[in-house]
Amino acid sequence: MTAIVSIQNATKDYRLGKVVVPALRGVSLEVSPGEFLSIAGPSGSGKTTLLNLIGCVDTATTGRVEVAGRDTAKLSERELTRLRLNTIGFIFQSFNLVGVLDVYRNVELPLLLQHALTAVERSKRVLALLERVGLLEHSKHRPNELSGGQRQRVAIARALVTRPVLVLADEPTANLDSVTGEHILDLMKELNRTEKTTFIFSTHDARVMAHASSLIRLADGKLDEGAAAASHDLPPSGPGAAA
Amino acid sequence: MKGLLDTLSVVLQIAFRNLFSNRWKTLIVGGIIGFGAFLVVLGTSLLDSVDHSMSRSIIGSVAGNIQVYSSASKEDLDVMGGFNFDANDIEPLTDFAHVRQVLMSVPNVLQVVPMGINGSMVLSGNTVDQALAKLRLSVTARAQGDATPALGQTYADQKDHVRQIVTVLQSDVENVKKLHDEKALVTDDLGSVARAASPAFWADFDAKPLDSLEFLENHIAPLATDADMLFLRYVGTDPKVFAKSFDRMSIVEGEAIPEGKRGFMFSKYVYEEQVKLKTARGLDKIHEALTARDKKIATDEELQRLVREASTQVKELLLELDAPKTRLFREKLQGALHSSEADVGKLLGQFLNANDQNFEERYAFFYRELAPSLELYRVRIGDTLTIKAFTRSGYVQSANLKVYGTFAFKGLEKSPQAGTMNMMDLVSFRELYGFMTDDRAKEIADMRATSGAKEVTRENAESELFGSAPDESANPSAALAVPVADDLNRELSTIAGSHQRGEAKPYDPSQLEQGVILNAAVLLKDDTQTAQTVTAIEAAGKQAGLPLKAITWQKAAGLIGQFATLMRVVLFTAVLIIFVVALVIINNALVMATLERVREIGTLRAVGAQRRFILAMLVLESVAVGLVFGALGTALGAVLIAVLGKVGIAAGNDVLMFFFSGPRLYPLLASHNLALALGIVLVVSIVSSVYPAWIAMRISPREAMQSEE
Repeated sequence: MTAIVSIQNATKDYRLGKVVVPALRGVSLEVSPGEFLSIAGPSGSGKTTLLNLIGCVDTATTGRVEVAGRDTAKLSERELTRLRLNTIGFIFQSFNLVGVLDVYRNVELPLLLQHALTAVERSKRVLALLERVGLLEHSKHRPNELSGGQRQRVAIARALVTRPVLVLADEPTANLDSVTGEHILDLMKELNRTEKTTFIFSTHDARVMAHASSLIRLADGKLDEGAAAASHDLPPSGPGAAA
Repeated sequence: MKGLLDTLSVVLQIAFRNLFSNRWKTLIVGGIIGFGAFLVVLGTSLLDSVDHSMSRSIIGSVAGNIQVYSSASKEDLDVMGGFNFDANDIEPLTDFAHVRQVLMSVPNVLQVVPMGINGSMVLSGNTVDQALAKLRLSVTARAQGDATPALGQTYADQKDHVRQIVTVLQSDVENVKKLHDEKALVTDDLGSVARAASPAFWADFDAKPLDSLEFLENHIAPLATDADMLFLRYVGTDPKVFAKSFDRMSIVEGEAIPEGKRGFMFSKYVYEEQVKLKTARGLDKIHEALTARDKKIATDEELQRLVREASTQVKELLLELDAPKTRLFREKLQGALHSSEADVGKLLGQFLNANDQNFEERYAFFYRELAPSLELYRVRIGDTLTIKAFTRSGYVQSANLKVYGTFAFKGLEKSPQAGTMNMMDLVSFRELYGFMTDDRAKEIADMRATSGAKEVTRENAESELFGSAPDESANPSAALAVPVADDLNRELSTIAGSHQRGEAKPYDPSQLEQGVILNAAVLLKDDTQTAQTVTAIEAAGKQAGLPLKAITWQKAAGLIGQFATLMRVVLFTAVLIIFVVALVIINNALVMATLERVREIGTLRAVGAQRRFILAMLVLESVAVGLVFGALGTALGAVLIAVLGKVGIAAGNDVLMFFFSGPRLYPLLASHNLALALGIVLVVSIVSSVYPAWIAMRISPREAMQSEE
């Protein structure tokens, strides 16, 4: 099976006034379908930048980024948006639910943007997912009536509602306590197994990394090769491994 | 398509939820928009109504839909006369029959009314003059041997009245002397009144009445300062066609000028304002203010001034009282005031110094008990009025016209602008304006024949005057022949006859059709085609070789006609300012809201919303506020107009009375005004959201990824 994400020697520079800040300095990566990949590294190591490239919200300065077989550099703004809508689900560190919409509507939103399904089909899918994340009885609640863990579960449901081949999660547990974070990761892992959805998430928390089926480490915008080599088929390791 | 509707529904949902979560901002922005919409509906409805009623009044009174006059005129025609007394310098159109024929050939023309507008002065003489004139008639009759007891009694009463007048004037002059230091002048006057008041003067009166009268006319009459020059604007027209064409015209007193008769009709407004006894007019005004406008003398300075004037200027009334009337007034006023005061002047002053409690009672008393003994109007219906006017070439023409009645234009009764237009027959107008009429031409020919005068042209003037031409030398004085005694008598009778011409001599109605006019009012079958008809008339004139200029009633009514347009400009300037302010505020609020929602918008973009979705969301949000509050404001305005349409808006003063064309304005609700309000609101909402939407579209989906710290 071909890689769902294929990155070859990607670099990304940001401009801060006249200073060019390199965020990624040549990263190559292949992600196979069904992976549960963790991108680890300290803050400023380029985790979010790499996720942005994979998530098609940004394009590389140099190098090649292919998502679902498409070269993102060759896509227009509109096509990138359509790619995000149809193939990628997003889970954010701060949940990023639409505050004025209730849980049901938040989950339904990507389907409405797709306008491919009828109301009945949408409702079936949304309710099934809400049941799956355990929030069926909260479907009429607004995000600010929910706890952090509940909100992130809504976000997970939203990310999965379009049945994307790839879900990106940017520090999904950073704003949660460890027990809740644990539950969220279990949920993601379960969905990864049952739905065969590929998950890529960033974190700097060693306990979170421990859940990954594979792991890459970033430092100063580059892959930490030594650690990466050891990452595949990662055995549950102690907290010391991350440090 | 179905999917698109769902998307729209979620966009709307987000938009509305956002509006609710920013309640205060929404309310402030919406309030401004609502107020603007309210103002647009209210303002345009009121203006439309004023415009409508004013156009009805102006078209239905003098102007007609279109006015036609000579394009060779030096000035523009202004039928309402603007605020000047002078008539416009309008070149005459010499053949009305032709003009009429050309105008009637334009399909949309319903009726053509011939006109000429001018102004002139009328000397009505003062009260003293009139009393003396009556006395002189009796003196003449007695001199001619009339010795009936009836005449004797009248003569005695008239003498009494003049004596009474002298007494009034004497106290008047003495008062003036107390106030002024112009001793020389006043001493002179004092001497005159003292002489006229002396018993010796009156003892002597019967012996040499003509000398005594002359003294009174020359020395006493000028002291009565109520003298009286009326300035009248009038339209000379075909009275029958005029009344038929202008549905707003109605006869208030008397009758219309009969066909073929020369005559004059006062505008009721002029008749009341200028011809009526000042005291009575003042009382009428107070009465109207108290009853129709809920004013109070105690609180209204204008009314206090009127009361003060009425109670201090009783001389005008006193001059009208002869001895029996003086006794009558004394008795009645003493009774009414429960007073033992003997001086009628003081009694009248006391009586007229009324307050809110007793005014209405005294007003009724004045008209019931006192007015029948007074000449309420200086010119009565049926009197003959001598009108003197300057012709175009500058000499004075005069005509004696019978006053047939008064008329008013419905809706313009109280309007000083339109109400000053009096009316006379067109034939008399032509004479006063200096045009040759058939009658006049014949008359002059007759006079020339009887006096032996003949045409002297510039070329042969010298030979005519000095007789150098050989064939004239036989009778050199022919041109300047002095009429012999026989002829003199004949000529005098001719002149006397011509003096009577105005009232006595009718004219052939066909003269109205043929001859000179200054302008003509054109009434249309379809008044929505006014502009097109103006063009058609000018084209028809050009084709017929007539120098016709056509203008719409708005232009013909001058400043007054432009009023509605002017108010519209003012209103729209105000509306524009409000909406520009609204635009800036809404724009600002939306930019702020957008900046607060960067993460939300970024998330939507990351999740897969296209830029146009974001654009639609923001514009819809702004349009939603605009439409909801705009509709509220529009509805409020509509309800107010509907209520006012039932109740009416009272015209507080005479100027408003004119603009409202009546005592109350009943505004009408027109759907295009509502549509206009909503349209403006919609445009403002969309325009104000353009910049914030542009900012929002530029928000990167990366913003969703930024962590909160």
